[in-house]
Amino acid sequence: MKVTINWLRDFVDIDIPARELADKLVGVGFEVEEIIDPKENIKNVVLGKILSIARHPDADKLVVCQIDVGSEILQIVTGANNIKEGDLVPVAKDGSRLPDGKTIKKGKLRGVDSCGMLCSGEELGLTEADYEGAGVYGILIMNKETAPLGTDINDVLGNDDVILDIGVTANRPDCNSVYGIAGEVAAVLKKPLRAPRTDFTATSSKSVEDIVAVEVRDPDLCHRYMAAAVTDIRIAPSPEYIRKRLKAVGLRPINNMVDITNYVLLEIGQPMHAFDDRDICGGKIIARRAQEGEKIVTLDGKEYTLSGNMLVIADSEKPNAVAGVMGGMNSGIRQDTSMVVFESARFARDSVRRTSRSLGLRSDSSARFEKGVDFSCQPLGLKRALALVQEFGCGKIAKGVIDICTPIPEKKPIVTTPEKIDGILGIAIDNKEKLDILRSLRIDAKLEDGKLICVSPAERDDLESANDIAEEIIRYHGYDKIAGTLMDKGRQTVGGKTRAQRNEDKIKEIAVSCGMHETLTYSFISPSFASVLRLPEDSALRRAVEIVNPLGEDMSVMRTQLAYSMLGTLSSNILKSQKAARMFEMASVYLPEGELPIMTQPKEETHIILGAYGKGEDFYTMKGVAELICNAFGVDVKYVRSAVPYLHPGRAADLMKGNRSVGYVGEVHPAVCAAMNVSERIYIAELNVDLINKYEKTAYKFEPISKFPPVERDLAVVVNEDVSGADILEAVKHAGGSIMREAEIFDVYRSAAIGEGKKSVAVNMIFRADDRTLKDEEIAEKTDKIIARLKDKLGAILR
Amino acid sequence: MAVKEKIEEIISAAAEGVKACGSLDEINSLKVRILGKSGELTALLRGMKDYPAQERPAVGKLVNEARDKINALIDEKTACLQASREEEKLQSEKIDVTLKGSATPRGSLHPCTLVKDEIVSIFTSLGFSVAHGPEIETDYYNFRQLNIPKDHPARDMQDTFYLGNDILLRTHTSPVQAHVMEECKPPIRVVCPGKVYRPDDDATHSPMFQQIEGLVIDENITLCDLKGILECFAKELFDKNTKVRFRPSYFPFTEPSVEVDLSCSVCHGKGCRICKGTGWIEVLGAGVVNPHVLEMSHIDPEKYSGFAFGMGIERIAMIKYGIPDMRILFENDVRFLRAFK
Repeated sequence: MKVTINWLRDFVDIDIPARELADKLVGVGFEVEEIIDPKENIKNVVLGKILSIARHPDADKLVVCQIDVGSEILQIVTGANNIKEGDLVPVAKDGSRLPDGKTIKKGKLRGVDSCGMLCSGEELGLTEADYEGAGVYGILIMNKETAPLGTDINDVLGNDDVILDIGVTANRPDCNSVYGIAGEVAAVLKKPLRAPRTDFTATSSKSVEDIVAVEVRDPDLCHRYMAAAVTDIRIAPSPEYIRKRLKAVGLRPINNMVDITNYVLLEIGQPMHAFDDRDICGGKIIARRAQEGEKIVTLDGKEYTLSGNMLVIADSEKPNAVAGVMGGMNSGIRQDTSMVVFESARFARDSVRRTSRSLGLRSDSSARFEKGVDFSCQPLGLKRALALVQEFGCGKIAKGVIDICTPIPEKKPIVTTPEKIDGILGIAIDNKEKLDILRSLRIDAKLEDGKLICVSPAERDDLESANDIAEEIIRYHGYDKIAGTLMDKGRQTVGGKTRAQRNEDKIKEIAVSCGMHETLTYSFISPSFASVLRLPEDSALRRAVEIVNPLGEDMSVMRTQLAYSMLGTLSSNILKSQKAARMFEMASVYLPEGELPIMTQPKEETHIILGAYGKGEDFYTMKGVAELICNAFGVDVKYVRSAVPYLHPGRAADLMKGNRSVGYVGEVHPAVCAAMNVSERIYIAELNVDLINKYEKTAYKFEPISKFPPVERDLAVVVNEDVSGADILEAVKHAGGSIMREAEIFDVYRSAAIGEGKKSVAVNMIFRADDRTLKDEEIAEKTDKIIARLKDKLGAILR
Repeated sequence: MAVKEKIEEIISAAAEGVKACGSLDEINSLKVRILGKSGELTALLRGMKDYPAQERPAVGKLVNEARDKINALIDEKTACLQASREEEKLQSEKIDVTLKGSATPRGSLHPCTLVKDEIVSIFTSLGFSVAHGPEIETDYYNFRQLNIPKDHPARDMQDTFYLGNDILLRTHTSPVQAHVMEECKPPIRVVCPGKVYRPDDDATHSPMFQQIEGLVIDENITLCDLKGILECFAKELFDKNTKVRFRPSYFPFTEPSVEVDLSCSVCHGKGCRICKGTGWIEVLGAGVVNPHVLEMSHIDPEKYSGFAFGMGIERIAMIKYGIPDMRILFENDVRFLRAFK
């Protein structure tokens, strides 16, 4: 919201500099985003008159001018060719500063002294709209000016105002107007607030009822509709001060009638519309819902198709405006307009918002209605518009005003106690100060029988509870008076993380100690993940939740696994010529349980993805990390050959707990790497952290360490290539019985002597009993049994 | 006494011999030569029978004394030679101690995780527990339950990714507050870290970022308590001189609402690039929980009050580590990540 200091001065006396006022406004909750002072931008530039123009002795394209700047005659060299003797021009003197930050210094041009510069409109930051002739290529000619020579150009241009750009929070729609801000300024400066001038006399021979009738068919969307009329209109430019103010806050002045509607919107916060009476067919304004499919061409020349929940302002034949959003092409003010009907209405906030959003059509008016316009604004805005008509002398005001209004909700007093206010804030504020602050904000506050009773003014719909009153008091009392306390009156609580939360930290710590770097990737990915990962049509992982309004196609679906993101991360590092990397990320995956598109929230699972490439990495280095994690939580999983489609079919395992998969580990399928433009071998593992938490063995039971010595034996057998280590160990453990404590494969060996398609597997076994020292015969018997079972089940031959 | 002289001679020869020995082998053979079965001293003992009976004890004593003496000399020399042999061996095993150790180099946690963990641990030590909630939320929990009705202008403060009718990616971690208030009874002290989503993408905004939200509900909780807790937090996270400043603001679920500035930890209020010359950095939004929100969560606003605060983790990581562009945090360049050990 842009306001100017001079405009604010219409309503409140301001006797401090703009910067100081801005600081005070910030202190009460109005962020001042920018202070724009045009004077600051132009320094030491004055109005001058060209006395003579002579040729430069050494340059064809330069001329030497003698310029009268009031106090002296300056010699200035210029290359411009649109000047003549007697012209009034802006003169940048020695040491001057221009809006683009340039400073002008005395100097010599081709050997001739030049004591400054003549400025173009552009150099002064002006456009044709700001000053006639400013758009011309060459020096700005200001021959219409009557100010004495040597006058500061800021004064010539009327740069006497400072603009504040103020951020208004969503709870204060009343402050999206100059008058609303003035109310806060008055409170902050402890000065009285003057009401806008709304006095006028109806001088037209007609009354508004002679010109127009109003019917509100849908009062749920149109809470109030006021109309007034102006006859005998003379369309002309608005007075200079109005044009200046509109320009200062970024609006283009059009003509007196259009400017009045814009000025009232900015000043009072009431969106207005001016209909040319010739466009109101049948002399009747009807506020009604649009017919489904009804069309309108708006002021911006575009055609929109309306739907039945949108409000239009129509006449007996056609819609003339999308209510509160934009007027129709056919209803605007024209050069020959002689009679106007002003609309000052209150449309339902959510309806305007929905309509504007679904048409993709926004305007200052719709923005204002969406924020909320209270019931007091319509009469104020309308009266102000009519007062301006009278002030401009641009028409005759018809008698009477039409006002069709739904019942205005009565303001309920907020009843609380001063103690409650102090209790919310934690500090005691003197009751008189409380009342003073509230009254300075035009809140009708009184203390009665220990109760604080507050009635807020019409424009303050945001005040509802004691907390709101406490906020009004503290923002004026000062937040710097709030002193920190540590919940002295609260009860002590036991905080900390849950076991599952600590487990997640522990898993991350394991990954870090394995040399892995944690990454952070978006939860949304490209839908191409399904084809890149070679997921079959019926794969559950294909069923990703789609974002209705994504930022782009490649960020449009919620990931169902973390593999795709990790592959992206690894490949981007490969592309950056990083020879090796180990990375991990713990994040949610989103698994819809019902139909797509989703009607209910999907299941969110926490996964960890591990990924690595580079020298020394292979299936087993990655499996090692997965094992460390599972072992750290006592989660005993079986590694079963995996069919995960994006993994190498010969080098991938599922981590099975019973018949439930806790995750997988494997080399990425070469076709997937190729799709990601990667020629390196990549190894990944993805584990379901929720399942690790679920299967975690938390109970530790003490077991005494056996007094009897273990016996160690090694065994080497030759088996077919397709016999797995897990098969061998299972057979060994099965036959070994209860004294078999540990069995591990420590070598796998292939050679021509062993034979094609065969391998020698060496197993280390540890036997021990808790109650006796094992005898050699007992071990020998077990070993025989083991060999027999290996032969029997797996066709193994003792080496 | 020829015997005595002879013994003296053997001793002095032995002493000479020991002195001359340069290795353990030499000293062993010397020991055998003198004290061995056919050694010189042993020979004397063997010749004892040639001496008159009354002299034999004295001779025997002399011989034994000599043996002890020689043994001592030999032992001493042996120990000495052993020590130097040990030393030689150690010297020969000398290695270059400046070469790199061979453990797996440690990986790293993401800077955002480091910041999040630090913040969480500050609050858990103040008696806060940690809660998580779904990232895919309902319109009800993300907005309505937090006093942001449909078509309310406050929704413009947070553009939203939608996934379906009334289902969306949460735009803040505040819905976790709402879940906690429904599920737990006061006293409540909880922090809720997590990912949140808004359709913005530039140097200071990411469509996915992380927030941490705090909530306290109990009897007699005030705005002063909010300030005290945040002061505690700011001093722990930055340094003990960090100051906290409140500025009035607006959030639909708190009333009064404040923006919270911390004095700049880089320039200590003098003004620098990080704080854009103001000496303050805007880090948190906070406020007293709106009684309306308590009511909607079935907590009696007449009895209980509380405060809530929220901050962006990426933003704090950027301030703490001097990272100029938020997108760097999501690039996952291993050279960047490696620095955060």
